[in-house]
Amino acid sequence: MFDKILKRNETYLLLIIILYSIVVTCSNKSFMSLENLFDTLRSGTGMMILGIGVLVALLSGGIDVSFTAIAISSGYIAVRTIMVIGIDNLFLAFVISCSIGVFLGAINGIIISYFKLPTLITTLGTLNLFHGLLLTIIGTKSVNAAQMPKCFIKFGSAKLFTITTASGTTYGLSVFVIPLIVVIVLTWFILKYTMLGRGIYAIGNNMESAVRAGINVIKTQLFVYCYIGFLNGIMGVVFVSEVRWVNPVYLVGTELTVIAAVVIGGAKLTGGSGTIFGALLGVGFITLLNSTLVFLGLSSSWMDFFIGFVMIISIGINSYRSILKDRRILSFKL
Amino acid sequence: MLFSKIIKKVNANILILFFITIIIVIMLSILLKDTFLTIRNFQSMAYQVPEFGLLALAMAIAMMSGGIDLSVIANANLSGILAALVMTNYITPETGEMQVILYIILAIFSALALSSMCGLLNGLLISYLGVPAILATLGTMIFYSGVGMAITEGKGVVGFPDQFLEIGVAKISIFPIPLIIFIIAVVIVSLILSKTPLGQKIYLLGTNPIAARFSGINNDIVLIKTYILTGFLAGMSSVIMISRVNSAKIGYGNTYLLQAILVVVLGGVDPYGGRGKISGVIMGIIILQSLQSGFTLFGFDPYSKRFIWGLMLLLVMVINYVNTKRQEKISKKEKKPIMN
Repeated sequence: MFDKILKRNETYLLLIIILYSIVVTCSNKSFMSLENLFDTLRSGTGMMILGIGVLVALLSGGIDVSFTAIAISSGYIAVRTIMVIGIDNLFLAFVISCSIGVFLGAINGIIISYFKLPTLITTLGTLNLFHGLLLTIIGTKSVNAAQMPKCFIKFGSAKLFTITTASGTTYGLSVFVIPLIVVIVLTWFILKYTMLGRGIYAIGNNMESAVRAGINVIKTQLFVYCYIGFLNGIMGVVFVSEVRWVNPVYLVGTELTVIAAVVIGGAKLTGGSGTIFGALLGVGFITLLNSTLVFLGLSSSWMDFFIGFVMIISIGINSYRSILKDRRILSFKL
Repeated sequence: MLFSKIIKKVNANILILFFITIIIVIMLSILLKDTFLTIRNFQSMAYQVPEFGLLALAMAIAMMSGGIDLSVIANANLSGILAALVMTNYITPETGEMQVILYIILAIFSALALSSMCGLLNGLLISYLGVPAILATLGTMIFYSGVGMAITEGKGVVGFPDQFLEIGVAKISIFPIPLIIFIIAVVIVSLILSKTPLGQKIYLLGTNPIAARFSGINNDIVLIKTYILTGFLAGMSSVIMISRVNSAKIGYGNTYLLQAILVVVLGGVDPYGGRGKISGVIMGIIILQSLQSGFTLFGFDPYSKRFIWGLMLLLVMVINYVNTKRQEKISKKEKKPIMN
């Protein structure tokens, strides 16, 4: 049993995270506190939700770089719509945002599943299409905390429970973990216990075999991208509530960081392999790097360097191990 | 008689692309009567095309081999930063004329060397470690930007000697030097692809890597050479880029990535590899640059432009798909009598 755990990518990542946390704590004692943990969790939830979406895309053998555009479009439109119609309801915000997310995701899905275009280039196109469309038609007006409907602000500051420190300040676990847990459980259930989920793994592993096994590729791919759109819609609302000042030019540009995080977490870009836990660990690692490089005395300019470095090492090791495995079982991919 | 000979030699797709290019240029000239068809407009296009065109060439070669190179821009930025650092650190106002030129050559050489090595890293990851091209170049893109950001702290490196800046602005008769460099690169790359064994192997590898391996082609060596060439072209682009803007920083030219892919796909290169001609890519570049100038003259803001590029990319790929399906149907129809 120990053997299996040692072989998995996630174990090493977890070790690296723990080691890194220890190093950071040595240089700054205030790092290893519950308050800091809750804070990091609050700011990292959005990226984790996006990361799960990216994971599902990777599992199906494709890639989606348009998710940030979908997320910001859904979130921004939801805010503006609620400002216009005046019903200050968080649930309604989620409904609007997720509907737009599913709609935009469906566009991705239709193009990819029906026309069988390469997923990277397609989603690169839709990224610019959606974002450009949003900025051209809806404009670049930002919405600040004063104008934002109260439901978002309340959502952003609500806490599950609060703890009061000795000095009298309160902190608590943000309610953001609720959508995160819902997303995790939903995704886990779909991937593990439904035919749809099996179909996703099948397509990612070997498209040809999946077709012959009777998996409806078009339906499955359509579902994948609509589901990702749905997750992005959720994230849109979370993002708007977290930042409390939304401008449509935000968020787009961070795609690569999220994809790097999920890949570091062990998902294979060729598809079919990857776990939710790994994706969460990967995003957690990146969020950690983001907030703690400053403690180690390195400016934020070093972020990309470390992310890229870890990514190359991780994919190098993974790919080399898979080549060795192929040689052992005498299968030749090339 | 001669005309039909020409038609047979030239690929049908290239011909269609050629006519589309002419039509677009004519339409833009009509719609923007006084501003498009001016020497000033063509000159500004002639200055902007080379740096982008070299990147597009690099992307085209990578795609023809069945992969992609997302790191060309980060590569170019990093190499530009190296060249800039060489020049700013060794050249002071006191250095003699001869010495300055020597240092400039050293800077250019180091940029090209670094970019080729970055390309080599890509090639090694893709061939020997078996990493898919998207993933490898995604990782190296982040890594190269990271290295550049760490070195420069996000600020640009400025202060180049005048002789170096000459590269970006000087002309030989009416042709800017960058354009001449670009044309030479185009000719060399076309010759490599069409007349050398390496070029042939790239096409074969892109079409079917397994068949290529079994026909005795060393896939790894071909891939490495491909990505070194890609890196080299990115390095050439970086020299032109930094001499035009007089500074070197990470992040310059980020919009070029989508445009490079668009131009390459527009030019008839199959994203799955194995097909495509440089002449098509050149026409794609001309179409893009003309539309770009046209949009600027119309007054489009950058967001609308992004929307249009994204839309164009999707449309071109859908049209390619429909076209391929149509051709498959036609060839099936031709086969039928034999089957009967």
